[in-house]
Amino acid sequence: MKILVDILRLALPLLYFATVWSYAKAFFKDSALAKRLKSPLLYVTLALHLSYLLIRTALFNHPPITTIFEIMSIISFSIAAAYAVIELLTKVKNTGYFILILAFIFQAFSSCFIESISQVNPVLRSQLLGIHVSSALLGYAAIAISAVYGFLYLMLYHHIKSNRFGVIYNKLPNLETLERMSMMSIVFGFCFLTIAIGVGLFWLPRAFEHFSYFDPKLIGTVFIWAMYGVGLIAKRTVGWQGRKIMILSIIGFAVAFFSLTIINVYFSGFHRFY
Amino acid sequence: MMNLIAVGINHRTAPLEVREKLWMSEDEIRKAVAELKERVFAECFIVSTCNRTELYGIYRGGGEAEAQTPSDVDALKDFLVKFKSAGDSVKHEHMYHMISTNAVNHLFKVASGVDSMVIGDVQILSQIKDGFNIASEQKSTGTFLHRLLQSTYHVGKRTRTETTIAEGAVSVSYAAVELANKIFSDLSKKSALLIGAGETGELTAKHLIGRGIGELFIANRTKSKAEVLVAALGGKTVDFDAILPMLARVDIVVSSVTSDGYLFTKNDLQKALKERSHKPLFVIDLGVPRNIDPEINKMESVFLYDLDGISRIIDQNLQKRKAELPHVNEIILEELTEFSNWFNSLQVSPTIQDLRAHFEQVRQEEVEKNINRFSPEDKELVELVTKRIVNKLLHLPTTNLKNGNEESEEEKHKKLHIIRSLFGLHKVKAGTE
Repeated sequence: MKILVDILRLALPLLYFATVWSYAKAFFKDSALAKRLKSPLLYVTLALHLSYLLIRTALFNHPPITTIFEIMSIISFSIAAAYAVIELLTKVKNTGYFILILAFIFQAFSSCFIESISQVNPVLRSQLLGIHVSSALLGYAAIAISAVYGFLYLMLYHHIKSNRFGVIYNKLPNLETLERMSMMSIVFGFCFLTIAIGVGLFWLPRAFEHFSYFDPKLIGTVFIWAMYGVGLIAKRTVGWQGRKIMILSIIGFAVAFFSLTIINVYFSGFHRFY
Repeated sequence: MMNLIAVGINHRTAPLEVREKLWMSEDEIRKAVAELKERVFAECFIVSTCNRTELYGIYRGGGEAEAQTPSDVDALKDFLVKFKSAGDSVKHEHMYHMISTNAVNHLFKVASGVDSMVIGDVQILSQIKDGFNIASEQKSTGTFLHRLLQSTYHVGKRTRTETTIAEGAVSVSYAAVELANKIFSDLSKKSALLIGAGETGELTAKHLIGRGIGELFIANRTKSKAEVLVAALGGKTVDFDAILPMLARVDIVVSSVTSDGYLFTKNDLQKALKERSHKPLFVIDLGVPRNIDPEINKMESVFLYDLDGISRIIDQNLQKRKAELPHVNEIILEELTEFSNWFNSLQVSPTIQDLRAHFEQVRQEEVEKNINRFSPEDKELVELVTKRIVNKLLHLPTTNLKNGNEESEEEKHKKLHIIRSLFGLHKVKAGTE
């Protein structure tokens, strides 16, 4: 078992690299072979990554959420999985490079530094916690992806506006599609965050004596969740769209990223386990 | 040397007023090809478009022939000119000719789109097909032209699939529609307003319809012209004075009128944008001078392109196409070599040469292997005897091949093919013409 985990741990960054390479070749060089291989390669990598996470859980008796490097692996998986879903639903296959490169980076870091810890705070062994953390990470991954699409949208928008037209911009999907993909990611992110908060609110008071509704991470996440909720409602009712909402998706991600980083680094609360 | 000649006129050698005099309709091509087949050629075909008219023919009298004399060439040029009664406008200097592999090379160049007025124009291939089909109907095509056209289509197809020389918009209307596809994802859910029923506007509207635009509105100062266009393309007319309210409703505006002053300004658009909840609006201003206030490009969700902007895109695309030329030339060279090889395999001399070479190779190998069984004095004798044997063996077949003048081309080709396959002579030496 341990051998299997080690093999997968080393193989995953290589697989992600190969996948990113395929998507890059397909996008920048129009390689026919790369175009055929890229999606299957992604699915294989995802399947192996999921196996890796499950085997780790079985081997160490806890879901891989106890250290920052374990969490990085889940973040990587979340980003890649979220992208795979978007690709399947929208049939737009040529933006993978920009998203999956994040997945590669996270997994590479994780594989380098991950520890094999079996002795952990018993609360971290709970399955509900696994769902809670996974949903939260999937949610944030989706938000990160929405920011990437928002960024691509803005690049293309400015390029078209400035009356120029370069090669790369020619290969990006059109503005409406980029906007749609960004919004789809936000909706996914919002749903997952809802699950994470829901499970958390249900389970946390039971698991912790010192539970407090004023825990910084809790407040941070609810704040981010509310921000995106308001954005989604505004889009529906007031009709925000285009450049405005794409900028918001990037700002939203930046706020989420910084607030979580700061909260994780500077504030403990009951939410801290490592 | 192939007995093929090409004579023609195109946009490089003659201005439009001259070359259009030689343009032939389908009926005219039929007549011309029939006449040429009767008088001069074993096989021939003509391709005629607004930018070129070209005649390709194989002289009667077998595969290998002497180079065509200058008077032969002049005779063909005169034929074309007289056929179209264009003696006043079209002179010999306006026309060009190529023979043998140069003619094949030229046809391949034409088919690949590199000889077109706009590089990469792939329409020409179907026009070549049309010309060939007409000639086929008139029974003026045979083995040679069939194989030549096969290779030609192959060149066209390979150029399209293996290079990007036909990609990227190089006309104003196409570039405008390509831009629209960069902004909007589904044109069938969008609507367009065409202001001005002139030619460029009409072309752009046609392309939009081709891409499945949902709704089309046409406005023109003279309403009847708009109505004519609507009858031809579909859509609805809009009063010229009622353009402003339409801005809230449509997603694409194409304007190509001559007007003093702007049709609408930034302020006019402000209200319309609010009404459309700032959904993206793509405005194409093809007017000279410009029809629309350029300030509107500063507004959010508005994309404005004038002729300059579109020309820049076209120039960029043309550069990209030109960069594909080496790639295309490689393909042409490959196909040319293959075609030449096929041609030579059907010719008597190269076949005899190859047969001799094959026999000589066997003789040499066997002599080398066994020469040490003989004493040094006998070695010369061995060479002599083996050479005599080979020559004797080859004498009859060679003579028979050379003297097959009464046979039909088909019988001759069959014979040569059988010899090649029986003796394994499939590799033809490159460069034999």
